[in-house]
Formats: sequence, structure tokens, C-alpha cells
Amino acid sequence: MAAFEELPESRLSPLGDDDLIAYMRGAREARAHDAIKPALAILVYGYWDTLLARARLKLPPSEAEDVAAEAVISAIASAFDGKSVGEFRAWLHTILSRRIADYLEARKRKPKVTELASEHAGEDEVWGDEPATPFEGEALFARECLDRSYDELSELHRRVIDLHVLGPHAATAAAELLGDGMTEANVNQIASRFQKRFRQLLDEGDTSG
Amino acid sequence: MADAQRLFEEYKQAASEAGPPDPVPFVSQVSGTERQALIALIDAYLEQAPRQEFDAAAFRDSKAAPLAESVQRSLAGAGGLWPALLPRLRNQARIRRADLVAELAARLGAQGQREKVGDYYHQMEQGRLPASGVSDTVLDALGAIVGYGRDALRKAGELPAAGAPSVQGGEVFARIGGPAPLDPDMAFSMAEMPDTEEWDEVDRLFRGDG
Repeated sequence: MAAFEELPESRLSPLGDDDLIAYMRGAREARAHDAIKPALAILVYGYWDTLLARARLKLPPSEAEDVAAEAVISAIASAFDGKSVGEFRAWLHTILSRRIADYLEARKRKPKVTELASEHAGEDEVWGDEPATPFEGEALFARECLDRSYDELSELHRRVIDLHVLGPHAATAAAELLGDGMTEANVNQIASRFQKRFRQLLDEGDTSG
Repeated sequence: MADAQRLFEEYKQAASEAGPPDPVPFVSQVSGTERQALIALIDAYLEQAPRQEFDAAAFRDSKAAPLAESVQRSLAGAGGLWPALLPRLRNQARIRRADLVAELAARLGAQGQREKVGDYYHQMEQGRLPASGVSDTVLDALGAIVGYGRDALRKAGELPAAGAPSVQGGEVFARIGGPAPLDPDMAFSMAEMPDTEEWDEVDRLFRGDG
């Protein structure tokens, strides 16, 4: 068994998720608990805003934070459990999606009767959210339409969508990254068709088939 | 989908400059189908977003910091990730600790031993109670109160103990068959517990069969 070597943040930051998790497991095994801190910080910080933003699309603020945190904890528990979870990021988002769905389902079954936090200012252990944002519980259908539009594409066209529509790259940059004769015009055309199909499915109200 | 598409591009731009912002101000600018389309687009975009580059100063100011700290503390304890998870579940369920303990005691048929149940639950939240000894009965009851599955609760609590033997190279860690080794904090709490022969049903529910 190789001895555990503690690494500084500068050497941990470039590591991928799986390597960070392996490092943390090694640190825990060696009882080097302080060595876990920077790696965990990098991993949690790296996904926190993204998870929170996803949760905020469907849940009110405090619930979004709790559900996002719970997803992080569950994903790390799975990672430390040693069972293969595939790509950590995908697993994290899968857990978040499940937790959001569970939360919405539980809320449907058992509407919470809570008092507003402002009614208990200064009191400990009294919860409640001021209703700050409208509740988004009906958005799953649109996501199904988007996923179906994506699934209908060829592998190459999916890469276009990943890079350009759902990714950060302009059409020119996406075409360059894909190479193989792909042009800016091609990228725009593929993106346009994808968006039209998404809209069509959304308007039809049909995700069957 | 002009509005949704425009707002989605604005969201992507903002995210590329300073990390994913709160999407609500963007989503609240549209309604109906446009709104649903925008939510789906942002959701898919976020799902694909790569890990943000670490920024130590931003981390210290973010809510990721206390979360990471609680997970780190949990990893050092005997109760797996319960110290990070259980208080959040309790908060999410909007149940005061005292009410949770009362309901847990009732569900365990131990209304008369609420204080003892409370002590054990406190140790679970503090990571001082080995999860291997906590019975399914307790986890079922707790899960029903906080809205969380028994298996998921056990999984979070039963991480391989710190210092457990492992296989290197990202392979599966060996699960521990027996009780987790005691850490100093835990040894203190266990010292306050009754001897095995003095255990009652509540002890057995939270500490196994010894």
C-alpha cells in the first residue's frame, strides 16, 4: 500500500473529480483528516453554485439550499462507499434530480403547514421561508421535450448542441473544435433545427413515442 | 422561443463571467411556454457545466464552505456523514429537535424514555454513534419523520471508518465487518453508556446487540 502524500491546494486544483475523491479517500484512510479539507473545498465549491442554481429553478430558496447540500452529501457518501458511480458530476446531478423529484412528490402528498420566519424573529429552531419566488413544480415536461429533441440527434449533432447551444462556445469556435469540415453555418443550422424541434414538442404537449 | 432564447444566452453569458447566477431573475421575466422552455434550457446547461475553478476567497464567503466543513468533520467521525446530513434533514422537515425526538420515541414505542432517545439521536447528529449498531427500526422511524429512505440513511452513516483497510488505485474499499474503531470523542460518549448487560430495548435499538 503506497503511503499517503498530502498535497497543497495548487496541486489539487488541477485534479479531476475522480482523482480528488481518491485523494480524499486516501487521506481518510491515513487519518490525515486535515488533508481532506482542501480537496473537499475544491470539489464542493466547484459544483455548489451549479447545483444550487438547478435547485432554484424548481424550489424556493431555503429548500433549494438544503436539497443541493443533501445531493452533495449523498454523492460523497456514494463516492466514499467505494461503489462505482461513474462520472462524479453526472452522479451528482442525477442525485439532485432525484432529490428534487422526491421533494416535489413529498410536498404534493403532505403540504407543509409552517409559520413565516418573521413571526418568530430571534427564536431558535423556528423555520419558514418568506414566499420570495413562485414555485416551479411543472417544469419537468419542458425538460423532457428538450431531452427528446437531443436524443433524436446524431452523435455529431449532439456534440454541436453540447458545445454551442448548451455550452459556452460561439458557433465559429464550436465549428473549429469539431473540425472535419464543420462550418459556422452548419453549427447555426443544427442549433436552429434543434431549437425548432424543441419548440414543436413543447407546443404539441407530446413527449410520447 | 425568442424571449427564452435571448434570456438563455444572457444567462450563459453571466455564468461564463462569474459562475452560474441565481436563475430566478431570468426566469421571472417570462411566463407560460417561454418560461418552461427557459427553465429547461438553463437546467440542461447547468447539468453540463464543468466544475468551477477554485477560488479560495469566494469559497470562504460561499455557503459551500460550511457544507464542506460539515462533511469534512463527518468524515473524521464514527457516524459517517450523519453529522452533515441529519441536521439538514431535520431543518428541511421543519421539525424542532425536541419534536423530532418526541416523535422518534413514540414511533419506537419508547415514549417514557424520550430523554434517552434524545441522547442517542444527539450522538447520531454528532457522529459519535457507530451506524452499524443503529437498527433498521430506528432508521425506518427516523426516515419517516424527516422524509428520507432507510437505506439512504444507512448508506450515509455507514461509510467505511477512517483508517479502514483499502485497495489502492481507486478500487473498492473493504467494508468493515465489526464495529468502527473508537475515536476520542466517541470513546467519551460511549463511556457514559450503560454496560451491555444493563441495556434495555432502547439501547439495543441504537447500539445493536452489542
